[in-house]
Amino acid sequence: MASHSQVLVEEKSSVRILTLNRPKQLNALSFQMISRLLQLFLAYEEDPSVKLVILKGQGRAFCAGGDVSAVVRDIGQGNWRLGAKFFADEYMLNYVMATYTKPQVSILNGIVMGGGAGVSVHGPFRIATQNTVFAMPETVLGLFPDVGASYFLSRLPGFFGEYVGLTGARLDGADMLACGLATHYLPSTRLTALEAELCRVDSSDPTVVSAILDAYTQNPHLKQQSAYHRQVLDVIDRCFSGRTVEEIIAALEREASDDWISTTIRALKKASPASLKISLRSIREGRLQGVGQCLSREYRMVCHVLKGDISKDFVEGCRAILIDKDKNPKWEPWRLEEMKDRMVEQYFKRVEEEEDLKLPARKNLPALAMAKL
Amino acid sequence: MSENRALQRAHILANHILRSPPLPSSLSLAREVCLQYSPPELNESYGFDVKEMRRLLDGHNTEDRDWLYGLMMQSNLFNRKERGGKIFVSPDYNQTMEQQREITMKRIWYLLEKGVYRGWLTDSGPEAELKKLALLEVCGIYDHSLSIKLGVHFFLWGNAVKFFGTKRHHEKWLKNTEDYVVKGCFAMTELGHGSNVRGIETVTTYDPRTGEFVINTPCESAQKYWIGGAAKHATHTIVFSQLNINGTNQGVHAFIAQIRDEDGNICPNIRVADCGHKIGLNGVDNGRIWFDNLRIPRENLLNSVADVSPDGEYVSAIKDPDQRFGAFMAPLTSGRVTIASSAIYSAKVGLAIALRYSLSRRAFSVKANGPEVLLLDYPSHQRRLLPLLAKTYAMSFAANDLKMIYVKRTPETNKAIHVVSSGLKAVLTWHNMHTLQECREAVGGQGVKTENLVGQLKGEFDVQTTFEGDNNVLMQQVSKALFAEYVSCKKRNKPFRGLGLEHMNSSRPVLPTQLSSSTLRCSQFQKNVFCLRERDLLERFTSEVAQLQGRGESRESSFLVNHELAEDLGKAFTEKAILQTILDAEAKLPAGSMKDVLGLVRSMYALISIEEDPSFLRYGYLSRDNVGDVRREVSKLCGELRPHALALVSSFGIPDAFLGPIAFNWVEANAWSSV
Repeated sequence: MASHSQVLVEEKSSVRILTLNRPKQLNALSFQMISRLLQLFLAYEEDPSVKLVILKGQGRAFCAGGDVSAVVRDIGQGNWRLGAKFFADEYMLNYVMATYTKPQVSILNGIVMGGGAGVSVHGPFRIATQNTVFAMPETVLGLFPDVGASYFLSRLPGFFGEYVGLTGARLDGADMLACGLATHYLPSTRLTALEAELCRVDSSDPTVVSAILDAYTQNPHLKQQSAYHRQVLDVIDRCFSGRTVEEIIAALEREASDDWISTTIRALKKASPASLKISLRSIREGRLQGVGQCLSREYRMVCHVLKGDISKDFVEGCRAILIDKDKNPKWEPWRLEEMKDRMVEQYFKRVEEEEDLKLPARKNLPALAMAKL
Repeated sequence: MSENRALQRAHILANHILRSPPLPSSLSLAREVCLQYSPPELNESYGFDVKEMRRLLDGHNTEDRDWLYGLMMQSNLFNRKERGGKIFVSPDYNQTMEQQREITMKRIWYLLEKGVYRGWLTDSGPEAELKKLALLEVCGIYDHSLSIKLGVHFFLWGNAVKFFGTKRHHEKWLKNTEDYVVKGCFAMTELGHGSNVRGIETVTTYDPRTGEFVINTPCESAQKYWIGGAAKHATHTIVFSQLNINGTNQGVHAFIAQIRDEDGNICPNIRVADCGHKIGLNGVDNGRIWFDNLRIPRENLLNSVADVSPDGEYVSAIKDPDQRFGAFMAPLTSGRVTIASSAIYSAKVGLAIALRYSLSRRAFSVKANGPEVLLLDYPSHQRRLLPLLAKTYAMSFAANDLKMIYVKRTPETNKAIHVVSSGLKAVLTWHNMHTLQECREAVGGQGVKTENLVGQLKGEFDVQTTFEGDNNVLMQQVSKALFAEYVSCKKRNKPFRGLGLEHMNSSRPVLPTQLSSSTLRCSQFQKNVFCLRERDLLERFTSEVAQLQGRGESRESSFLVNHELAEDLGKAFTEKAILQTILDAEAKLPAGSMKDVLGLVRSMYALISIEEDPSFLRYGYLSRDNVGDVRREVSKLCGELRPHALALVSSFGIPDAFLGPIAFNWVEANAWSSV
C-alpha cells in the first residue's frame, strides 16, 4: 500500500476498502484515479474471492467532484477531446458501478459533490454522517449535473431532483437519508466499528450487508432550515414541476417570499442560463431513461460543453469560481430567453466526428440499486 | 426496503435454513435449469438512431410530452408501483367504478394545478393546438378514461362553446372551462339516436314572454345517453335539440344548460341517471339526462350559425337546413382526429409490450436437448406481430398528417378533413383492436393480468370503434364523398383535384405480370397497386349506383344495395392515404439506416395490406401467382424486420414506466420475494 497513491487499497479477507487519497484537493477525481478505480472494480467483479467493496475518502471530503482544472487547461490548449476522454472514462466508471454485481458501500463522511456523487450514489449502499455535505453545483460552473445525475436526481421524490440539480443546493446527511440519496445514516464515531464488522462479510448477498447496516443506522432529525420539510417540499413540487426554467422562476417569484425562496431564486439567477436549460431538459429526459441511456446522453452534452460550440460557459465558470475566484462569471448567453430552444436542442445531438459513448453490455440491471431511492 | 418487507424476507430465509433438508453434494444440477431473465437490450442492437425515429414518430412537442410523463410519474395519484425493481404507473383497474371515477377526477385536478391545460381553450393557432394534442395523447397513454374525461370537457364542451358560440359565450365560459370552474359535458347522443344526430327527439321551444328557451325530453328514447361527465361531475352541458319556433322545426341546435350547482346537487327540472358499469373506461362517469320543461336564458343558444331574436324570430345566414347542419357539425372533426391518433398510441403500447416480451421469453426447443427458442425467432410469431408493427408505423404517420391538416384547417380543407378523418378514425381504431387482441394472445396468459395492460386495453379502447361516428357509417361516408367528387368532376368535365384522387387524371396504371422481389418493394409499384384498386372500385361503385339510378332507384337506396363495394372503396381510399403518408415521411429522410429501415416497414405495410384484402384477387388486379409472390415477400420482410424489432418499438418513445411489467424482468416481477 503506497501512501502516495491516489487510490489506497486495503484487502480485508473478502472485502476491499478503496480510499480516495488526494485530501488537499478534497479527493477530486483525477484522470488517474478514475482509471485506477475502473480497473479495480472490473478486476474485483471477476475475482470470486472479493465479495464486497467499500469506498471512502481520506480527510474531510469523500470526494468533491471531478478534477476539472486539468480539463479546462486542455480546452485552453485547444484540446477539448482530451477532456472528453476524461468524462468518457468517468461515465464508464459510473456505469460499471450502477450495474455492479457485488455490493458497493460508500462512506460519505464529508463533502460529496458532482463526480463524488457519481462514484457513490449508483451503488446500493450510501452511508451519510453528521459530516456529510452533498451538492450538485454544476450549473454555477457552466456545466450540468452529469455522472448519471439525470438518472438519480430525476428519481428523487416529486421534483426535489430538479431543485437539487438546478440550484446546486446543499444537503446534509439527514436530508440525503430522507430523500433517498443516502440509504443509511450514523454518527461518524460509529464508522470504525461498522467498517470492522463489514470486513467480516463473506457474501455478496445484499441482504447480508443490509442487515449489518440496518443495525447501525439512525433516523436523524431534519435541521430547521432543511428543504425536506413538508411545507418546503410542497413549494418545490409546485414550482420545480414547471415546464421550463422561466416557468420555474416565475412560480418561485409568485410564492410568498421567505429566506428559502430568496436564496433559491438567487441561486438560479447566479447560475449559467445555458446550464440551467440543458440541465432541466437532461433531468426530464433522464426520468424516462435507463442509466446507460442517461450516461450516453450526458456524454453527448458534455462534448458540446467542452467543445464550446454553443456556449463557452464552462471555461468561464471554472475561471470565475475555481481559477480567478472572482465569483463573477460573464455568462454567454446572459439571459434565459436568449438561450433558445434550438440552442438547447444542439446539446442533445451527437458532436460531429465524435463517437457516442460505448457502454459495455452488462447483465445486471441497476434496478436493485435504484429501488432504494 | 420497508421494515415489513425486510421482516418478511428474513422470515422466508429462516424457513429455508430451518426446514430445508441438508444440501445435496452436487449443487450445480438444480441451478442450470433455472430460467433467467435476459434483457432484450443485451442481444439486440439498434441499427438506427432510436431517438431520431421517436422524434419522427411523435412528430411534434417531444419535450412537452416528456414533461407530462414526468409529472405523472412523480405523483402518488398515478398508482406508482414497483415490479421487478422498476417503477410502473398505470391505473388500478381493480378499483370499483366509483373509485376509478374519483381518482380520474383527482388526476385531472393535479394536472390542472401543474398548468398542463394552460391555453387549451384560450390560445389558438397551430402551435397551441399541436401542444394540446400532444399532451392529450400522453394522458391517453396513461389511461383512456383520463383522456376521454379531458376530451369531453375541452374538446366537446369547450370546443362547442368556442366554435358554436359567439363572443358572449367565449367571455363567460372559455377561461372558466380551462380553469375547471365549470365542468362541462356534451349531450348529443340519445337512447334512440346515435350516429344519426339529425333524428334526435329532444325538443326546444322559445317563450317570448320570458325570453327563455324551454327544453324537453318528450319520450324515453329521447333521454340523453352515454353523456360523459353527466353521472357525477359535470356542472354544465351542451344540449343538442330540435329547435321548434312557432310550429316550424328549424333543425338541430346547441344550447348551454346548467345541470348541477356548485355543490354538485342536480338542478331542478333535470333528471340524471347513471349508465352503469362498462367493459372499460370506468373512470368516465357516463350518465343519462332527461329535461322536464327546463328553462334557460335566450343567450344560451350557441348562435354562431343561427339565432332567435328576443321576440322569437328565427334568423340564420344559412337558409338551407342541410347546409346549416353541416356548418354546425364541421368543428366536431377534432374528436375523430384525436381518436385516430390515440388509437395508434394504444397499439404502440400493446406492441411494445408484446414484442419486448417475445424478445425475452422462450418456448420449446427445435432440437432435442437444445436451448428453448425465443418467441420472436419463430417465423410464425414474427408473422403475427411484425406486420402489425409496420401498419402501426404507417398509421402513425397518417395520424400525424391528419393532425397537421386539422390544425392548419381552412374553410377549403373542411371537406378533405371530414373525409380523411372519417376513414382514418375507422381504420386506425379497428387496427388498434386487432393489434391488442393479437398482442394479448402473443404474450399468453400474462396478457390477461390487467397490470400487463394489453388485455385490459381491449376493453378500454373498444368504444373507439363506435363513438364519434360508428366506423361502418364513417366508411360509408367516405365512399359517398368519393362518389360525389367523381360525379361532380365528370359532370363538369374537370380534372380531379384533392382527396388524393389526382392519379385518376392520368391513364390507368399497368402492373407487370411477373412480380419480382425488387418490384414488390418498389414504392412506385406499391403506389400503382393502391391507386389501381381505388380507381377501379370508385369507377365500379359509381357505375353501379348510376345504373340503379337510371332504373329509377333513389341515390340513397342505390348506395345501400352497393354496400359491399362502398366498404371496399372506403378501405381502398384510406389505405392508399396511409401509404402516401409513410412514403412522404420516408422521402424526407436523408439517405441512411433510418431511411432504409423505414423503407422495409413501408414495404411491409404495402404488401400486408395487399395480402389481407381479397379485392385484389376478386377484381383481378393481381393474379394467383402474384398474390403468392406477395405472401412470400411478406415472410421475407418478417425476417428482415426481426433484427430491428426492439429498435422499432423503442422508437415509439413510450417510457418504460407506462408499459407493463412483462415487458421487462418478468421473472423478478413475479419472484416470491415480491409476494
